Amino acid sequence: MAAEHQAVSLDTLYTAETPEGIALSLRPAGAAARALAYMVDLGVRFGLFMVVSIAAIPLGGMGQGLLLVSYFLLEWFYPVFFELTGSGATPGKRMFGLQVVMDSGLPVTPAAALTRNLLRAADFFPFLYASGLLTMLLRRDFKRMGDLAAGTLVVYADTVALHGQLPDAAATAPTRALAPREQAAIVAWAGRAKRLTPARLDELAQLARSVTPGQGGDATGRLLGVAQWLVGNRHDPRRTGERP
Amino acid sequence: MTPRLFEAQNGPLWDELEQALDRAEKRPRDKSQDKEKKAAKPAGKPKPLDGARLAELYRRACEHLALSQARAYPIHLTQRLESLTQRAHRLIYRRHDYGVARLRQLVLIDFPQAVRQQRWYLLAATLLFVVPAIAMGLACYFDPGFILHIASAEQAQEFDQMYSGSERALGRTRTASTDWQMFGYYVMHNIGIGFQCFAGGLFLGIGSVFFILFNGVFLGAVAGYLTGRGHVENFWSFVVTHGAFELTAIVLAGAAGLQLGHALLAPGRHTRLQALRRAASEAIVIVYGVIGMLVIAAAIEAFWSSARWVLPEVKYGVGGACWLFVFAYLGWQGRPARVSPSPARSVHAG
Repeated sequence: MAAEHQAVSLDTLYTAETPEGIALSLRPAGAAARALAYMVDLGVRFGLFMVVSIAAIPLGGMGQGLLLVSYFLLEWFYPVFFELTGSGATPGKRMFGLQVVMDSGLPVTPAAALTRNLLRAADFFPFLYASGLLTMLLRRDFKRMGDLAAGTLVVYADTVALHGQLPDAAATAPTRALAPREQAAIVAWAGRAKRLTPARLDELAQLARSVTPGQGGDATGRLLGVAQWLVGNRHDPRRTGERP
Repeated sequence: MTPRLFEAQNGPLWDELEQALDRAEKRPRDKSQDKEKKAAKPAGKPKPLDGARLAELYRRACEHLALSQARAYPIHLTQRLESLTQRAHRLIYRRHDYGVARLRQLVLIDFPQAVRQQRWYLLAATLLFVVPAIAMGLACYFDPGFILHIASAEQAQEFDQMYSGSERALGRTRTASTDWQMFGYYVMHNIGIGFQCFAGGLFLGIGSVFFILFNGVFLGAVAGYLTGRGHVENFWSFVVTHGAFELTAIVLAGAAGLQLGHALLAPGRHTRLQALRRAASEAIVIVYGVIGMLVIAAAIEAFWSSARWVLPEVKYGVGGACWLFVFAYLGWQGRPARVSPSPARSVHAG
């Protein structure tokens, strides 16, 4: 719910608030990843059905009954079963790093797992999950109708790390006192050092020349030093190395 | 406080939480980290998980996360805290109510109560099912040709053959293994119909209405046609027993679907989405019961209804008892014990 009240932004991050008042960031999975996971599950289900049928054929009529019951169970309860296990994902979903959770960020409950999977019949309508796909594409959190009714969300199980550790640099004090926003910007910039090209990193560092002591030369190195100073590595004698 | 100092002061606490979570989840999240830990602590007997300590660690980590976010600390720090709190949150608020006790509660109390709570949807679904069934039944009874409006001539012939006294008739030549085969068929087919009636509710209830009507019309037509053709005993003694569970369950599934549709059409004071979620969480209890009833119906249909050695009179008797049982169960099971109003309370109320 919280996500709907936020201003429109480009990313699809979904925020769920916990009773402790912290915001959990969930990354909803889109139609493509889910469709691929579904195909894998279809294959797994087909394989299981083959195994059952090989075992059931010698049993005659009783085997046929068994086959029909197993078809029924595979069709409706295969996802329910796997979503209620620890990982909250069918084998196909796990393969693509997906997971089903409640939209409060909690593990999916039995009632919700059953609801979302029984309502697949509606998502399938009129053919090939057309309704489900349409709903998914219309929503920022990619819920299909079963998810809407059950209050569940398909998310990526692992969060991506866009920013990492700060690279080493000799700590240098900035030339003037920095506002909190400026501090945050510099630290965030330093955290991106491994993801940006050196040229771009330097280009950004040039914008912050006014805070680095000294002029010319290695703007990146000096700003990284300021970042280190800001995080608190102020009097660390070990950190004397320079960025290559 | 600088981020580094913050990390140095609280790092041990986060490590402890991380280890507790790893142990509780029993699956290594990050294998490289795990190896490092093993190298650091080769021989450490895992202590049993302390719930109170975990909750405390979790609350502290939440606090640290809030601080870290508010002070715009480096992202790697915030992210570590985020993932720690998320994992702990999932662990602490996980639901544990599975098992036999829950099932007992469901069968004895929750399901019949849910059915009574949704009595208006149930009434609507019943009318949608029964009225066209009776109308079609009468039409086909008085004019057997009328069935051709909804079924092909071949299908009508098949019905005839199934319930006639001939050798190929239903149940005559069936063996035990065929019973099992039919059981499988009924489970797959009938429960599928039940689920359709429920899921159809998502299309503003139109799907549910359609499936209930369709099933009512079809069943009524077949019943009327076969009765008109004189297969009274064969047909009615076959359907009477499992019908008690099967027809009731189909109507209940339709009622659950209508509830979804109503929530979407008239959400009242909630948003449409909230209304749908509430309706679904109530309706799913009925669907649990529907599944159970349809499995019972499939078993009866496969092993009892088709049994030719049972006299039709016995089947009528058992069937009647089943109908009574189903209605009594849905009507009275799980009602709270009636307390006689004590005089003291009535004084307060006055």
